[in-house]
Amino acid sequence: MAAVQISLPLPVLPEGWAAEKDFKAVGQLTHATDRNIEPVGPHFLAHARRKRHKRTFSEDDR
Amino acid sequence: MSEEESPAQRVAIGISFGNSYSSIAHTSGEGKAEVIANEEGDRQIPSILSYVDGEEFQGTQAKAQLVRNSKNTVAYFRDFLGQDFKSIDPTPCHQSAHPIQHDSTVAFKIKDTAEGAENTVTVSEITTRHIRRLKNSASDFMGKTVNAAVITVPTNFSDAQKEALTKAAKDAGVEVLQFIHEPVAAVLAYDARAEAEVADKIVVVADLGGIRSDVAVIASRGGMYSILATAHDYDVGGTQLDQVLMDHFAKEFIKKHKSGGDPRENDRSLAKLKLESEAVKKALSLGSSANFSVESLSNGLDFTSTINRTRYELLASKIFAAFTRLALHAVEKAQLDPLDVSEIILAGGTAHTPRIASALQSAFPESTTVLAPSTSPTALNPSELAARGAAIQASLIQEFEAEDIDQSTHPMVTVTPHLAHAVGVLCISGDPASGVFRPLVEAETPVPVRRSAVIATPREGGDVLIKICEGVREIKVTKPAPKPKPAKDEDEDDEDDEDDSEEEEEEIREKAWRVENVLAEAALKGLKKGAKVEVQVNVAADLSVQCFVREVGGKGGVRGGWSAPKPVENGSI
Ligand SMILES: Nc1ncnc2c1ncn2[C@@H]1O[C@H](COP(=O)(O)OP(=O)(O)OP(=O)(O)O)[C@@H](O)[C@H]1O
Ligand SMILES: [Mg+2]
Repeated sequence: MAAVQISLPLPVLPEGWAAEKDFKAVGQLTHATDRNIEPVGPHFLAHARRKRHKRTFSEDDR
Repeated sequence: MSEEESPAQRVAIGISFGNSYSSIAHTSGEGKAEVIANEEGDRQIPSILSYVDGEEFQGTQAKAQLVRNSKNTVAYFRDFLGQDFKSIDPTPCHQSAHPIQHDSTVAFKIKDTAEGAENTVTVSEITTRHIRRLKNSASDFMGKTVNAAVITVPTNFSDAQKEALTKAAKDAGVEVLQFIHEPVAAVLAYDARAEAEVADKIVVVADLGGIRSDVAVIASRGGMYSILATAHDYDVGGTQLDQVLMDHFAKEFIKKHKSGGDPRENDRSLAKLKLESEAVKKALSLGSSANFSVESLSNGLDFTSTINRTRYELLASKIFAAFTRLALHAVEKAQLDPLDVSEIILAGGTAHTPRIASALQSAFPESTTVLAPSTSPTALNPSELAARGAAIQASLIQEFEAEDIDQSTHPMVTVTPHLAHAVGVLCISGDPASGVFRPLVEAETPVPVRRSAVIATPREGGDVLIKICEGVREIKVTKPAPKPKPAKDEDEDDEDDEDDSEEEEEEIREKAWRVENVLAEAALKGLKKGAKVEVQVNVAADLSVQCFVREVGGKGGVRGGWSAPKPVENGSI
């Protein structure tokens, strides 16, 4: 999918902010809900291919 | 492709098989879906079979037999398939062959042979005959024998019903490659258009048919569809609209011909009244008035009359309101707000009715696009959506082995974790209370998923903070300022609102984001003036996340990741 364009600016880095390699993990995602994806359409077929062959998006791109 | 492989020999079409009408569709060379007209030129083929001296009629010809030969005319049978006699509602069949109990299934007693003996024909056999006719029409058109199909079914079609339909189709020489849900077929028909763009959106499909109306709320995420909620109503549909017109014209007739009797009290008159009322109803979807004309409607008396659309809309207003209620109810069941709905796709024959589309448009916010012939110049024909979607799906899978299709549609593949909340970045400020959350990945997106955004930076460039969070959509309600007393001018500065008199009363409802949970922080340093930052988020199937941020056009970047939430013990949530 095309990148989302966001016109609001990112915040300025606060004074004194520091992290190893400029990155720090803070939390984790909330648990997800199991749902059925409708097995319909070209994008689902790509999903099914990845899932059945245990491939990632980037492997799929190649 | 080797000739002996069965997929190579498939000729597949899409079939929409409704209680009232059926359609067949194929895809042309460039993958464009097209609904096929049968020998009579119909694209909406009444799902009716009728027998006259052993000869079988289908579609419009069979429908005409409802007047003289209703006992040997079978109609409204789709929903009986695979059902117990006790669980069916035979009401729609009052003016045609009555369903009866036969062993564990439903059947009809009809004279379907030249000898004129009454035979018991099961609903499965009727369906086979109907599908055989559809298959033959498609084969004639395509110049080769159709032997496979994707068939659309309602979202609440049971496994037993699907099994019965598979068998009935097989007996007609049609291999069911896959059943797909009617509303999903409608979304696919829209998404398959050349100009369509893949987007994340909530789509409501309102499928308004003849004897039932079904609404589905669908999360469309990167071209994948998940049904969040459905609502069904068997008491509102085209039949009720026909009834409104039947009552209207019957009363007009009685007024005009005191000795003519009530055409609703005689079977043949009733059938004529119904057929013509349906035709008038369809004409009123296009024109501002329509003519009703039936020869010998009752007691040998001809009857003609006209009705204008305004009158019809008044008579049917209660029913129109019921469609809107059903759609709103489905949105509520999905725990969403009308503001979350990007699009309403109107599907099914009754969706041609202009007033139904405009009523939905006024019940939903302006940001919701209603895709119907009367509200959108680019709308597809609502009567064709299911068949088109089925044909597109058929073209996508017809070369797969049956086993491949089975595996791909298995819950092992389809059941997938969907994100509870949106994942996005904070803009303007890094403080969750004052920053503005912008989503990259919407809630209800299946994982794994990869999304990216290109984000503006402060005017001077420099060092920026990328704060990745989970956000929750909230509905912000602003009550109108209490109405100023007569001396209105003194209230604030007058922003020359022309139409403020009415608008002022309404509260303003808007979507807003609240930060639920901070996930990670990254810094990008020394950005150029006017730089843009690309943020890419990769959520894995186990909910661990990888993230990559970089200056657009710049070198390097920052990469990081974080772990999946701790698994919950079974039953502890
Ligand atoms: N142009 C039109 N304007 C208004 N109503 C229409 C129009 N075309 C068809 N209809 C009505 O739509 C209904 C049929 O809808 P549809 O073709 O979606 O049937 P279906 O899927 O077989 O429905 P069901 O299973 O609910 O009976 C009928 O009541 C028919 O009169
Ligand atoms: Mg239908």
